[in-house]
Amino acid sequence: MAEYIKLIDVTKCTGCRGCQVACKQWNSLPAVDTMFTGSLQNPKDLNYNTWCLIRFDEVEKDGKLNWLMRHDACMHCETPACAKACPSPGALTKNENGSVVHNPAYCIGCRSCIVACPFDIPRNDKALEKMAKCSLCHDRIDDGKKPACVTACPTGCLTFGTKEEMLKAAEKRAEKVKGVIYPANPHYETHVMYILPGTVGVEDFSHMNPHPKMPATLYWWKNLFKPFTLIGIAGVAGAAFLHYIIKGPHRVHEKKEGGE
Amino acid sequence: MTNHWNDIQHADAILIMGSNPAENHPISFKWVNEARTKRGAKLIVVDPRFTRSAATADIYARLRPGTDIAFLGAVINYAIEKNRIHEEYVKNYTDAAYIVNPAFQGATDLDGLFSGLTGAKYDKATWAYEMDENGIPKQDLTLQDPLCVYQLLKKHYSRYTIKKVSDITGCDAADLEAVCETYTATCKPELSGTIMYAMGTTQHTYGSQNVRAFAVLQLLLGNIGNAGGGINALRGESNVQGSTDHGALFHILTGYLKYPKANQPTLAVYNEQNTPKNKDPKSLNWWGNTPKYMASLMKAWWRDADLETAYSYLPKIDDGKNYSYLPIYSAMANGEIKGMFVWGMNPAVGAPSSKMIRKAIAQLDWMVCVDLWETETSAFWQKEAGVNPADIKTEVFLLPAASSMEKEGSISNSGRWCQWRYKAIDPVGHAEDDLWIINQIVNRTKALYAKEGGAFPDPIANLTWNYGKVGLDGKIHPPSPREVAKEINGYFIAEKEIEDKAKGEIKKFKPGDIVPSFAMLQDDGSTVCGCWVYAGSIDDKGENKMMKRDPADPTGLGMFPNWSWSWPVNRRIVYNRASVNVEGKPFSKEKPVLWWSPLKKAWLGDIPDGNGDPDAILPFIMVPHGRGMLFAAGMSDGPFPEHYEPLESVVKNTLSNSQVSPVITRWDEKAKEETCNPILAAGCIAALYGSEEAKEFPTICSTYRVSEHWQTGQMTRWIPWLNELVPNQFVEMSEEFAREHGITFGDKVKLTSARNVEGITAYAMITKRLKPFRIQGKDIHMVGITWHFGYKGLATGGNANDLTPFIGDPNTMIPEYKAFLVKVEKA
Amino acid sequence: MSAHGDMIKVTDGIERVVHWILAGSCLFCLITGIGFMYHSWSFIATFLGGPYAMKWMHIFSGLAFAVSFVYSFFMWKKDCQFESQDLQWVLKGGGYLWNVKDLPPVYKYNAGQKAFFWILVACAIVIIASGVVMLNPLYYPVVMARFAYMLHAGAVVLLGAFIVVHIYLGTAGNPGTVSAMLTGYVSRPWCETHCPRWLADRDSWKPGGEKDVA
Repeated sequence: MAEYIKLIDVTKCTGCRGCQVACKQWNSLPAVDTMFTGSLQNPKDLNYNTWCLIRFDEVEKDGKLNWLMRHDACMHCETPACAKACPSPGALTKNENGSVVHNPAYCIGCRSCIVACPFDIPRNDKALEKMAKCSLCHDRIDDGKKPACVTACPTGCLTFGTKEEMLKAAEKRAEKVKGVIYPANPHYETHVMYILPGTVGVEDFSHMNPHPKMPATLYWWKNLFKPFTLIGIAGVAGAAFLHYIIKGPHRVHEKKEGGE
Repeated sequence: MTNHWNDIQHADAILIMGSNPAENHPISFKWVNEARTKRGAKLIVVDPRFTRSAATADIYARLRPGTDIAFLGAVINYAIEKNRIHEEYVKNYTDAAYIVNPAFQGATDLDGLFSGLTGAKYDKATWAYEMDENGIPKQDLTLQDPLCVYQLLKKHYSRYTIKKVSDITGCDAADLEAVCETYTATCKPELSGTIMYAMGTTQHTYGSQNVRAFAVLQLLLGNIGNAGGGINALRGESNVQGSTDHGALFHILTGYLKYPKANQPTLAVYNEQNTPKNKDPKSLNWWGNTPKYMASLMKAWWRDADLETAYSYLPKIDDGKNYSYLPIYSAMANGEIKGMFVWGMNPAVGAPSSKMIRKAIAQLDWMVCVDLWETETSAFWQKEAGVNPADIKTEVFLLPAASSMEKEGSISNSGRWCQWRYKAIDPVGHAEDDLWIINQIVNRTKALYAKEGGAFPDPIANLTWNYGKVGLDGKIHPPSPREVAKEINGYFIAEKEIEDKAKGEIKKFKPGDIVPSFAMLQDDGSTVCGCWVYAGSIDDKGENKMMKRDPADPTGLGMFPNWSWSWPVNRRIVYNRASVNVEGKPFSKEKPVLWWSPLKKAWLGDIPDGNGDPDAILPFIMVPHGRGMLFAAGMSDGPFPEHYEPLESVVKNTLSNSQVSPVITRWDEKAKEETCNPILAAGCIAALYGSEEAKEFPTICSTYRVSEHWQTGQMTRWIPWLNELVPNQFVEMSEEFAREHGITFGDKVKLTSARNVEGITAYAMITKRLKPFRIQGKDIHMVGITWHFGYKGLATGGNANDLTPFIGDPNTMIPEYKAFLVKVEKA
Repeated sequence: MSAHGDMIKVTDGIERVVHWILAGSCLFCLITGIGFMYHSWSFIATFLGGPYAMKWMHIFSGLAFAVSFVYSFFMWKKDCQFESQDLQWVLKGGGYLWNVKDLPPVYKYNAGQKAFFWILVACAIVIIASGVVMLNPLYYPVVMARFAYMLHAGAVVLLGAFIVVHIYLGTAGNPGTVSAMLTGYVSRPWCETHCPRWLADRDSWKPGGEKDVA
């Protein structure tokens, strides 16, 4: 199966939020009871029932006002930290098509994925003890369709295609608009990429990690401590066995009271 | 739209002014982005607020609400002064060279006025071209004659200098100059610039003149008729184009035929007065066909009556009367109107000074509302509306209607594409589609007239209503929209032989044959046609072309001739003869709309506007003399757009001493009269410049829409997903304004106007996207508020139109929603 | 002589109960924790009624661990204070794993046992504290929460290994030891070998008789 990438060309986003509603419609997510937040951004943050969100930022730079609008949703990492941190098999799966999909049936609500995610994407529902996030509409992809947000996007900001196609398109577009491809780090691969306008920096966008990478703590936990837990136990148990058969147990000499 | 939605992709410069397509026509931005990506088009956004459209623009220029003509005047002046005009186009295809009556005096001579002003009306006798002995306008092709249109135009706009306009609009001079420079660059023949406008342009007391200013600019730059050009009105509702095509306005019948007046008692007089005459052989003067279209329409409505009798059945507009939105409610307040059908509309929220509108509605005996949900209008008598239900005597009926997915029919989009839509699901509950409802009303009314007679039963009793017949069982059968579509297209009701001069053959038609195009319509009563511009939407085999879905694009310009059907005669770009030179060669080789093939002796590409060889006819066929009008005598308020201030303004007009347009209907003055109805007296007052009220209400307010809600919110405020995005009414203000008024993040504020001192509340959205305007050395503040909220629905909020003024444009009566005065204070 | 013959009571009931709560909860947490850590060992969760049930078991078992740990800390910390002789004991190589002559006489616990105690203390504090953070990780700064997950796992590496050592030395490695935590009694020679100073002390309190340890 082909590997896909969703490309978000921020230079084309007009913040209409069609993606936000289309996401809810396809995934049957209920509306959240919201209140005016001070800006158009609503709900204020991602939540269990809001998997993608347009974030609005007003940034003045070099005397020019920039009204930044960014489609914020799961980045679908090549090596997803969330799935790595997840203790419950099947709750978070990385698929061949690139999507990282959660399955509420297996989710135990431990929230380790939320902590591990370098982009702070997953959200949990306290009462349900489940997490949820964008699934890249993997069900639609398998059906030959594009994710709901991409299908709904009127401006061409969201596009979707095979990895090779999209990487090429991203490079071409970034060059044309003198923009920046995000994530910039070639060693951190994701199946969602951004083209950000060159006039502002990554740090001007709210809720955007300028240097996304797998958290070091997760690396230590999963790549070191995890194997060493069993290695340690097995090693010590093996040593004890060797000690037992070579040296033998340390018997007490009961010479004072009767002897052996 | 002269062009169509996906034609925007061919533009080299896109001027978004008086519209906010990113928010209100989001899909159009697909084509805007396409033009920018593929052609490197420059996007210019001119708006008082830094909108979502402005967010990705190359140039953003701000202007004070209501100063569009001043702004465009500067662009026009720049184009003329720097000679950035498409000279060949201007000379051949516009009236620039025509000589105007020497008695005409313009705004430069008359301090902002034009010759002929008597009272609050212009006598337009002097607004005329000088005719030669053949009755053809005199021309000076050198454009040097001081009396030629071009010189008059130049003189008129010479006052609109960058400096002056910057001081009027509050636009930074550098930004203004950048707009002038970038947009007038499209004067090159091979380049095109498009203008996307909407209600920000039209909803002013000089709204029509705002559009006229666009027309003048586009004609000077040669941007009408070509691909990627045009003046494109972005319709606010999906089928509002269809509603105007089909005569849902008081002053027009279907197909933009003028509505008969009381002083036109017979069809003969009507035809005489409404059929323009022209002696220029090169001008097709298409409206010369008016008698044919009118006769076919009369036959569609009253098949069995002769033409004059049928015409006599039509109600006539009393002399000097106007039955548009504002006068209707004023008449209602005065008790002159007893009943009202409100069909998919919500005036209790959408009409200006809507608090007064609700009081006016309460004077009715009965009201029928047809809608998907209970709207503020159908609930005007409820407690939420702030009234005591016991005090209301109006009997209200609410008929549940089917939504667009629940019925079949056609929708005409802004680009004049008429697309057939099919029913997807059955309506919910007892809801029925509009056609079903109308059919019931017509059949039952006819039966009542037949049974009971009446004062003048003939128009209803004799009305031809041959769809949805009453069966033998006495039941009224639901009509099919396809039957209606056939009548709209037209068919023959008598045997007819018609000579086709172009092909030199005679075509024979028999009763029941489909009318193949409006060229075949007859003035003798042998054809019926419900709307002449739609003639040809059904082919001779009865196939409905609006159902076509062929994605082939032979020109490569995205015109898709076999995808739906576009009026007129499937022409995708109107006035397309102006995209070629007099030899029939396209001005732009890269994106030719049509071209003349000398070998085939035929036009290729789009359907040409008018037949004949190149240069045989003039391109603007709907204009009597065939040329685009820089000088428009048909306007009520002047042949050239002139800057006036909005009715409510804190700024003095520095361009002339005419503060406001001299010909607008002044309800605010009538409100001051002692005899005035108290409802009107309270709802029509205005804070005029220099008055006490203006001091009390010092802040400019403008209403607008957001992507997340639609119109009065009558549909969207029932949808939780949309309410989640915009749950509350809010008012946008600059950081400076908020600081001055002690308003902080999340505060609730109260807005009041001269018409509503109780005011409405809204949340404060404090933003960097609004800044005070520097006008005549003073900082002028504005706030912006959506008009999506009311007291019904799942999300409720303050109704912005409770504040708006009761005043309209003299040409169209469109209300001035976009510039008025309010006071903002912490609630 | 008592009913236990020449057996010496080294632990009382509470001590043994607390020990086994601590040990049981610790082992249970270890096993369920391994069940979480290794997806390939998900049979543990299956056996316990699924990962969701196991989550709560782990949490409640952790609670038992925390409570018994705090109790045992105060119970054993006095006997586990290091003294100068412990260094010599260590330098001589202990005496657990093989017989060593001339060991400095041990009081109740030798240096190895004391070290295990303090390692347990350190690991338990880390595990419990990080466990508390992991209960509601979103209440804390993300960096702190991330460290909690890492430290929780890191401490287990150490603790897991030491538990195995503890089990081996308490059972097969030193026959006669396990009864201290089962019946509470060990033989006199066992005491003479493993805690001679304490034995002498005990005898001086009540020669030939019994005395409650605590």
